[in-house]
Amino acid sequence: MTGESVPPPEEPIPAAPAPPRPIRARDLGAAGSRLLHLQALLTPDRMQGPGFAFSLVPVLRRLYPDRDRFAEAMTRHTSYVATHPLLAGYVLGAAARLEAKRAAGEPIDGARIDALKRALASPLAAIGDPFFWVVLRPLSGLAGVLGIALFGAADPSSPDVRVLLCPLLLLLTYNAVALPTRWRGVGAGFAAAESPADLLRSLRFADWRELLERGGAFLYGGLLALLAAGLHAATMAGGSGLGPVGAALLPLALGFIVARAFLRRGAAATVETALTVLVLAALVSLAL
Amino acid sequence: MIADFLRIAFLGGMLAVDRAAGWNLMLSQPLVAACLAGALVHPGAEWELWALRIPIAVGALLQLLLTNAALPAAQKPHDTATAGVVGSTVAVLGMGHLHAVIPTSAGGLLWVLLGVLSGLVAAVLGGWVQGLNRAAAASDSRRAVVLAAAGDAAGYERLYLGALVRIFTLGALWTWCGALVLLAAAIAILPRVAEGVTTKRIGFVFAVILGGAVATAYETHVRGVKGGLRWTAAGAAATAALLLALAAEAA
Repeated sequence: MTGESVPPPEEPIPAAPAPPRPIRARDLGAAGSRLLHLQALLTPDRMQGPGFAFSLVPVLRRLYPDRDRFAEAMTRHTSYVATHPLLAGYVLGAAARLEAKRAAGEPIDGARIDALKRALASPLAAIGDPFFWVVLRPLSGLAGVLGIALFGAADPSSPDVRVLLCPLLLLLTYNAVALPTRWRGVGAGFAAAESPADLLRSLRFADWRELLERGGAFLYGGLLALLAAGLHAATMAGGSGLGPVGAALLPLALGFIVARAFLRRGAAATVETALTVLVLAALVSLAL
Repeated sequence: MIADFLRIAFLGGMLAVDRAAGWNLMLSQPLVAACLAGALVHPGAEWELWALRIPIAVGALLQLLLTNAALPAAQKPHDTATAGVVGSTVAVLGMGHLHAVIPTSAGGLLWVLLGVLSGLVAAVLGGWVQGLNRAAAASDSRRAVVLAAAGDAAGYERLYLGALVRIFTLGALWTWCGALVLLAAAIAILPRVAEGVTTKRIGFVFAVILGGAVATAYETHVRGVKGGLRWTAAGAAATAALLLALAAEAA
């Protein structure tokens, strides 16, 4: 032993990481606008996964100029995602934030990004589906139908503008809530990526749902009153084939009872119920 | 008529994208779809005013009948997006073709019923057509995963936009075919049963289907809602009071 220290073998100097490219607002904007097509490749095994990856392409392209890392990220995001389409922006914004941190060299692995997506996607579906599909969509439809009475019958000699106003009322009722929700989703998700629980708590759809449900029942009462008034007017005017009010109420009640009986057995079969009622009515009318 | 069918085919394609691809702007709701179709179809100058009124009634009835409060995953695969377009088109164009051979239409109610029936049938058949898209989407999804793993962003985007175009094309083709076939069926069948089409029967069937629509709306808006009947009574009372006040003012 000479006492001379042997120099350690030279370690390869790690390549300097590519400087992180921060996500720009326009990348998030492009990703958010692509969410409009989120469900074009909806399949049972991946649900909105392919659409989610498609929406994230502008962000991932920016973050990962390197093809391998881009491919890895794309593969991660084509996996199973199932959330409410209008609230998908929250998931997308949060995922984009974590991808940006990962691209910048922070110790965030793919599993954490997947976990965040799962932590947001399912609760958002549970919040969004009952609010938008079960309450708001039917309510806006009912508002559009009520518009027929609201805007009044047109002068018989002029075009009936209700053909435009009623659909407009429906669209405005729904989109007054849906579009702002969509608009702020990506930004809010991006800002709250570290605290998904707070993000979920900040969404007050459950409170609004109760209010809108009551509003729906209230409008339904309005529909009944308007229907009664319309029926009265039609039977007074004659020529509609409805006969006197009593005679008109009988088939109306028959349709109501038969349809309710069918719907109570299979609530999801509205089309089949309507067809059955129509065919039964046609058959019974042969006896008249 | 060719121009009418081209217009409604385009509308059907757009509505299919709205419903299936994720726009979800509610353009595909039956009331909107029926009214848009009514504005696009021209049965002839003498029927222009009717062409606007009948779609409102067809759309309103279909809106109530087809509104389903069940979650989309729990529903049967019906194409409610193009039902309004097909129903409205068959009603308006059927009126133009058949008014000469059908002695009575009960103030247009016959055409409304024809439109509602066509819309309902179109919803069921359209659901089968959507099965074609589901099969193609499953195949495309597998290809998308391969392209993503290869990092082929351009290929992935092309594939995805192709899926979007397929939804539009299927919706447009189905709307065109469905409206044409159902209109042809109406033109072939209705004259044969014209003698049995009476004002009384039309009124009866219309009232029954209206009752069915009210029942569907009840299931959607009242049943299961906390205090639903109370809110319904309040709505009815408020509307009745408003109508009485308006009537008194008019008098």
